[in-house]
Amino acid sequence: MTVIITGASRGLGAAIAERLISNGNDVFGIARNADQLLYDSVSCDVSSYESLKAVAKRLRQEKREITGLVNAAGIAAMNLALTTTEASTQKILQTNLAGTIYCCQHFAPLMIRRGAGAIINFSTIAVAIGLKGESIYAASKAGVEGFSRSFAREVSDFGLRVNCIAPGPIDTDLLNGVSDEQIQRIVAQQVITTQHTKDDICDLIEVLLDPRSNSLSGQVLHVGGA
Amino acid sequence: MEYADAVNIVREKVEELSNCSNLSEETQLIGDGSVMDSMKLVELCLALEDEATEVGFEFDWTSESAMSRARSMFRTVGSLATEYAAQSEK
Repeated sequence: MTVIITGASRGLGAAIAERLISNGNDVFGIARNADQLLYDSVSCDVSSYESLKAVAKRLRQEKREITGLVNAAGIAAMNLALTTTEASTQKILQTNLAGTIYCCQHFAPLMIRRGAGAIINFSTIAVAIGLKGESIYAASKAGVEGFSRSFAREVSDFGLRVNCIAPGPIDTDLLNGVSDEQIQRIVAQQVITTQHTKDDICDLIEVLLDPRSNSLSGQVLHVGGA
Repeated sequence: MEYADAVNIVREKVEELSNCSNLSEETQLIGDGSVMDSMKLVELCLALEDEATEVGFEFDWTSESAMSRARSMFRTVGSLATEYAAQSEK
């Protein structure tokens, strides 16, 4: 019983992997540089369709029982759309949106074969509040939300659930360069006006992976409320 | 893989999944009159992928025209068998 986690070497992905492993789960990590990971993992860029296809083939040949997929890989620009380069725009869309789609395309069949599984994708509060200075990041994550809602319906009959977690500002590398004042302005727009933590996200991940969440699919869960 | 062998494999899988028998190369797999729904079509793809792995090739079912009634490889048992046989030779 294995949970695949992308973006596993840093930030939320690393925290989620650590939490699941510490609670006795088998984790398979995917990261651009997985060399330093101490558990079963592979170096792979989620923006590469062919690389992910090869990873899925490997897992299928190893007959791994995949029970969950957590698409935590993501990048942000902290930039105005008008001052963002084409290369940066492409990279954000390719990693956040296409990467999430590719992972679902390649890894969902592994769960379909066993007739059950939970997929958790990541959005952001930036979508719900129309965050200034993050329009391209927000666009990529709005795409993830739309994809997740539709994909949830496409795989529901196979026993798969697809949900999104949309956190507010969490203390990870993605917040580098964001001032405390900016963070507080965003937090103030949440329903619960405190900054949440990686632990809060890990708690929610465990809930969504749990079969007791079987009635929940196609949802966007706003951590802190939005 | 010969076309006739591919037809037998595809027909056998479709018959298993659809609970229909005596299917032909003209049996439709998508659209009105199809013996499969989209869920069964995915299951068929997975079954054919497993079969392909056993005999030593990779079956890629993604296609720009998967749901096109005019061009899809999933139009009929015969069209899918043609694609399956072609991929076995790559």
